Amino acid sequence: MTTTTQNIGQILQRYGIFIALAVMCLTLAVISENFLSTRNILNVLRQTSINGILAIGMTFVILTRGIDLSVGSVVAFAGLVATSLATTATTGMVGNGPYPALLAIAAGLSVGMACGAVSGVIVSRFHVPAFVATLGMLSAARGLALIYSGGRPIPSLTEEFRWIGTGSVWGIPVPIFLLIGTFAVAHFVLTQTRFGRHIYAVGGNPHAAKVSGLPVRGIRFSVYVIAGALAGLAGMILAARTGSALPQAGIAYELDAIAAVVIGGTSLAGGVGRVTGTLIGALLIGVMNNGLDLMGVESYYQQVIKGVLIVAAVMLDQSKNKQD
Amino acid sequence: MTKRTLMLATAMSLVAGAGMAQDKPKIGAALYGLNAEFMQLWAAAAEAHPAVQQGLVELTIFDGRYDALVQQEQFETMITEGYDAIIFAPIDAEAGAAAVEAAVAAGIPVFGTNTMANTDKLSSYVGSDDVQSGYMEAKYLLDKIGCTGNVVIIEGPLGQSAQIQRLEGNQKALAECPDVKVLEQQTANWSRAEAQTLMENWLTVHGDAINGVIGQNDEMALGAIEAIKAAGMDPKSFAIVGIDGVTDALLAVKAGDMASILQDGGAQAQGSVDLAIKAAMPEYEPMSPIWAQYTEMPWNGGTDKMYMVPWTPVTLENVDALLATRQ
Repeated sequence: MTTTTQNIGQILQRYGIFIALAVMCLTLAVISENFLSTRNILNVLRQTSINGILAIGMTFVILTRGIDLSVGSVVAFAGLVATSLATTATTGMVGNGPYPALLAIAAGLSVGMACGAVSGVIVSRFHVPAFVATLGMLSAARGLALIYSGGRPIPSLTEEFRWIGTGSVWGIPVPIFLLIGTFAVAHFVLTQTRFGRHIYAVGGNPHAAKVSGLPVRGIRFSVYVIAGALAGLAGMILAARTGSALPQAGIAYELDAIAAVVIGGTSLAGGVGRVTGTLIGALLIGVMNNGLDLMGVESYYQQVIKGVLIVAAVMLDQSKNKQD
Repeated sequence: MTKRTLMLATAMSLVAGAGMAQDKPKIGAALYGLNAEFMQLWAAAAEAHPAVQQGLVELTIFDGRYDALVQQEQFETMITEGYDAIIFAPIDAEAGAAAVEAAVAAGIPVFGTNTMANTDKLSSYVGSDDVQSGYMEAKYLLDKIGCTGNVVIIEGPLGQSAQIQRLEGNQKALAECPDVKVLEQQTANWSRAEAQTLMENWLTVHGDAINGVIGQNDEMALGAIEAIKAAGMDPKSFAIVGIDGVTDALLAVKAGDMASILQDGGAQAQGSVDLAIKAAMPEYEPMSPIWAQYTEMPWNGGTDKMYMVPWTPVTLENVDALLATRQ
């Protein structure tokens, strides 16, 4: 193999995901005159915000060789608890409401963190495989959501609360700011802090991390709390966006989040990956859904295409590992 | 020793309990799933049935959890437990047929409600005609836009009986207005969030060329409204319709943003409970107030094969009364 082709191969592997996104955007810009309109770009970003935030949380977990299957259920549970404090409906379950939106948001984040903490304890202290522990939480949190709401939606949310889903600042929707903010913090934590380096160390080689005295348990625990908190945030954005919290919201959202992480090049074997890749992966899924809608392609085909994309991304990842 | 006495007492009370319960006919309601508001209203109305309230019969509601296999197992349980009649809303028409046939073979009459089972073994069916609702909503919308312009259709999960029949009704009404163009037609799987994304993307393509939105259920119509609001447009400048009459849709009708057609799940529930009791106690006369409410659906001695509960358009005149029932 000549050096040039080797270089091209390396570039493709390193920036494959950026190139794929760019190619997709260019193609769509040619096919649909509306794709590059400001409104459509804002739409895509807003539509991506929920999955993007979930996927950023998922990145932390997957970097430590874990997985969090419960985020979709936590989305529903946290959304319901938060909105029960921020509804003007007389059927609201918490008396004397509505309360200030900040209190409702704090409650939603707390619920998400609590769910994550339970998963985290089970994984880090009791050494239950993450797949099993969070599968349990997937079922339990959905059940709690149904119990808490009596299975009914919570409508009539206060305008103040709905701002996080429908408001905008300088013409840019609030969910986009929340996504960018989450990304910026996550990127900083993973690349600039000792905690971030520890996450990579634990995922890359847990044994070595333990031998060198890292608080492996604490790190494993905390990534589930982070994923839970972000699932709570996503759940509140979803409720605020649609105007009501549903106990059946967020079903299968964990799959899109995992897909974004994997497409973004984070290895399911842990220790390797970047939150930038995850963001691009989420955007790729969002742009694809949007583009296929603009072209009038049925959503069933979109699922097939998404499936192909995920597998292709992992195949690229595998070939990269083999070369190393 | 104390332990043994306790066990004996428990065993005796269990036997006594079983003996007492056997005096009353046992009716099982196997519903496809209790996660959504519509089936919850159904279940609440069944439990509020006068005969159930007075303890004339014992009613047990089974949550099918949207899984045909779970429903099948619940049927096996009811057959083993010797239920006197079963009310059935299957998740799937074909898979439901096998369950019905097993129960009927065991001598238990089965009454369909809300969703059809593809079998002729049902003693009777209490539901609402989805073709009719699809026609009614589309007709209302077409009248509002003056039988001209562009519409989009947001469909239920492709292949589900309600989606197929509501679409048939939609198309029947659309055929009466040949000048109306269907710009887009796609599924949002009954989901508000999916419909919102779909409508946002359609607004990008078509903008204000869209005059009407046909949602095959209320949730999806509500998603379209949110998308329109997010695009800085006024839902009142569109004609938007949905079906079911869920609480949020009633609120949106009140706000003037959409029109909806109420599917009276409560009447379906109470009607099928009356029929099931009649099967267990032949001398029984229906006790639910629904027969007086819907005179166009006569009881006919409980012998009809089909009872179609009429649809009620939700209007500004009746919306407050309907909302009051949801408190």
